[in-house]
Amino acid sequence: MFARRRFAVLKNLLEYIGLEPGRLHFSWISSAEAQKFQETVKTVVEEVTALGPAKILIKDIRKVA
Amino acid sequence: MDNQAIAEEIRSLAKKLLADGVVDCVIGYTQGTVPMRDRPYFAYSPEEAENLTWSSFCCNNLANFARKRADKVAVVAQGCVSRSLVNHIVENQIDRDKLVVIGVPSPGMVDHNKVQAAVGAGKIITEVVEDGDDLVVKGKGFEERIARKTVLRDNCFTCVQRNPVIVDHMIGSPGDDTHGGDIDKVAAPWEKLSAEERWAAFSENFQDCIRCYACRDACPLCYCTVCFVDESNPQWCGKTQDEADVATFHILRAFHCAGRCTDCGACESACPQGIKMRRLTSKIEKDIRELYDYRPGMDPEAIPPMSVYRPDDPQDFIK
Amino acid sequence: MADKILAKDQVAAFIEGLQSDRKVYAPALVGEKLVWSQVQGADDVLWDFTNTDLSPKDFFFPQTECMMRFVNDPADEKGMIMQAEPELDEERVLLNIRPCDGKAFGVLDLIFCQDDYTNDAYWRDKRDKTALIGLACNDPCPTCFCTSVGCGPHNQAGLDLLLVDLGDSFLVQVITERGEALADGLPEADAEAAAQAGELKAAAEGAITSGVATDKIAEREVLELFELPMWDRVHESCLNCGTCTFYCPTCHCFDIQDEVVGLDGRRVRNWDYCMSWLFTVHGTGHNPRPGKKERVRQRFMHKFKYIPLKRGGEIGCVGCGRCVVRCPVNIDVREVVNQMNQ
Repeated sequence: MFARRRFAVLKNLLEYIGLEPGRLHFSWISSAEAQKFQETVKTVVEEVTALGPAKILIKDIRKVA
Repeated sequence: MDNQAIAEEIRSLAKKLLADGVVDCVIGYTQGTVPMRDRPYFAYSPEEAENLTWSSFCCNNLANFARKRADKVAVVAQGCVSRSLVNHIVENQIDRDKLVVIGVPSPGMVDHNKVQAAVGAGKIITEVVEDGDDLVVKGKGFEERIARKTVLRDNCFTCVQRNPVIVDHMIGSPGDDTHGGDIDKVAAPWEKLSAEERWAAFSENFQDCIRCYACRDACPLCYCTVCFVDESNPQWCGKTQDEADVATFHILRAFHCAGRCTDCGACESACPQGIKMRRLTSKIEKDIRELYDYRPGMDPEAIPPMSVYRPDDPQDFIK
Repeated sequence: MADKILAKDQVAAFIEGLQSDRKVYAPALVGEKLVWSQVQGADDVLWDFTNTDLSPKDFFFPQTECMMRFVNDPADEKGMIMQAEPELDEERVLLNIRPCDGKAFGVLDLIFCQDDYTNDAYWRDKRDKTALIGLACNDPCPTCFCTSVGCGPHNQAGLDLLLVDLGDSFLVQVITERGEALADGLPEADAEAAAQAGELKAAAEGAITSGVATDKIAEREVLELFELPMWDRVHESCLNCGTCTFYCPTCHCFDIQDEVVGLDGRRVRNWDYCMSWLFTVHGTGHNPRPGKKERVRQRFMHKFKYIPLKRGGEIGCVGCGRCVVRCPVNIDVREVVNQMNQ
C-alpha cells in the first residue's frame, strides 16, 4: 500500500522527463491469479514491443566515446 | 524593516543568546568576498556574532548545517529555511529542544546569475548595493540601477511562505506571504510537451551538468550517510558524463526528495553551471500537493506522505 | 627567438593559417556562458573577456575518457585483449588561453608525466598535439591572484606564444620552437612594441590587489600545518561538493572504472574529487578522511604544501580565481591560505 504512492510519483516523474506513455505499467496481481498474470504479461509485452526500442536513457558502452 | 535593520537585530539577539548560554552556536550569514554573495557563518561567541549580517544575497539553506548536532543551535530562518527545519524535525534529524529559530521575513533573495545577465555576461561586477526596491550594480566602467523584483530567484518570486513557520524569536514583523508570482503557472513546465519534446527539454536543461553534486550537497534533504551515487557495490548510477548517467542521477535525486522538497531553491542557487534545477523538482512538489494534499515542512507533527497511505489514494494507473 | 607583430587587420588571415592544418579552439560566448568552442570563422573569436567558466583542462584530461576496450570472450578474435583507445588524430590550437590556465598545464605535466613509471600516455599525446597561444590579461579581475602563486597576467610558462594587446596590434611573444613555427611569416616586432608590452604588464600586475602569502607555509612542517586549529572552522560551511575541484585548472584527481555489459567492456576514467566521502573509503569500510574537516584540509594541504614539497616548489594553484567565484558557500581560498601562512 505504501508502494502505491511511490509508484504514482515515480510514474509521473518518469513520464514527465520523456518516458513514452505505455512503457511503464502497474498491476495488482496476487500469486493466486495466474490467469490474470499471464494476460497482463502478454498485454505489457505487446504494448511495449509496439513502442519499439527504448529511445531515452540509453547508454551503449560499445558506442559511446 | 529593511535588511540593515534586521541585521542589527540579528546581531544583538545572537549576542544575547550566546552570552546567556541559551545556545552554543548561532548559524547565520556573514558578508562574502565576492559581490552578491553572503555566506554561512557559525558564531560561537558574542564577539563572533558581531560578524553576522542579513541581506538579499543569502541564498543558501542554513537548515543544511543544523542537523545532527550535539550542541544547541540558533538558526536565522526565513520561510523556506524554517520549512526545511520543520522537515528535519519530522524526520528526526533535529531535536526541537536543541533548536532556537530566529525568524526573519524573507525579502526575497537575488539571483546573481540574473544580475550578471542584466548588465551583460563578461562584464566585471565589483559591488552590488541594496537601495530600497532597487539594486545598484557597480563594476568596471559602469554603474546601473536594477529593480530588485526583476532579478529575484525564481522560487522566491513564486514563494508562498515568506514568513517562518516555526519561530522562537521573530525579528521585524511578518510581511505578505507571497511575492506575486504564481507557482502553479510555472511548476512542471514540461507537462505541456509531448514525450519526445519532454526528453529533449530535459536533456537540454541538464547538458551543462558537471556532476559536482553541489545541488545534492546544498539540499537540506540530501543527508544520507552514503548517497546512492557514492555506492560502489552495487553501483546504481554511472559516473561518466554520458547523458544517461547524468539523467539517472537527477531523476533519482528528485525522486528521493518526493514529499520532502519545499522548493527552497538551494539546489538551483548552488549550481555553479546555472542549471534550472527546479524545472524538474517542481514536478515532484506539484504532484505531492495535488495527489496527497501535502505541503512539506509546514507542520512538525505531520507524517511524511511517502510513509503513509490512505485507502482512497489515487490508483487509476494500476491495472 | 624574436618577438613578432600581428596587426589586428591581419588576425583573420593568421587564424585561417592556423586552421589550414589544425583545429582551432577559442573562448566564445554561448548564451550567457563563456565556453571553449571550435572556431569556424575569425569572427567567432572573443578578444575581450575575463576567462572561461570552466578551464580548458578538458582538452587534455577529459571529464570522461575511455582508455581501452575489451571483449571478455576467449572465442572472439579480439577477445581478452585490452585495446587502447586510438590516439588523437589531429593537431589542435587553443587560441586566447589565459596565462594562468597555460601555466596550470605545465604544473600538471609534472604530475601526469613524472618518470618512466608515471607517464600518462593519454595526457602526453594530447599535450604533444596541442599548441597554446596565450592572450595576456591587461585588465585582471578582482578575484585573480596569480601574481602571488608564481604566475602573472603576462606570464609565459606553459605557452607556445603569448599575444599582448597593444591597441591596434598584438605583440606576439615567441616562447617555444612550436610557437616560432606558428608565428613564422609574421613581421618582427620593434623595441617600441616590446616597451609598450612591458608597461602593460607592469600595470596589469599592479592591478592585482588580492593575493596569498605562502612563505611560511613553505617553511613549516607538514604536521604543524596539519594540526592547525583553523581547520576546525574552515570546514564548517563547506558542502563537500566538487565545484572547486572541477573548475580548477590544476586539480587532477580521477577514478578509473571498468564498465561491462555482457561480454563487452570499456575502461573509463572520470574526474573525481577529494571532497567526496567515496574518494578515500576503503573496501573494508574504513575511511582515513571520515569527515568534512579532514577532506577540506586535504585539498588545501595538497595544493599548497604537498605539491610544492614534491614538485620542487611549484604551487598547485595558479590564482585564476574560479573557485572563489563558483563556490556555493563562498569559501575563499585566499583567506584560507593566508590563515595557513600565519
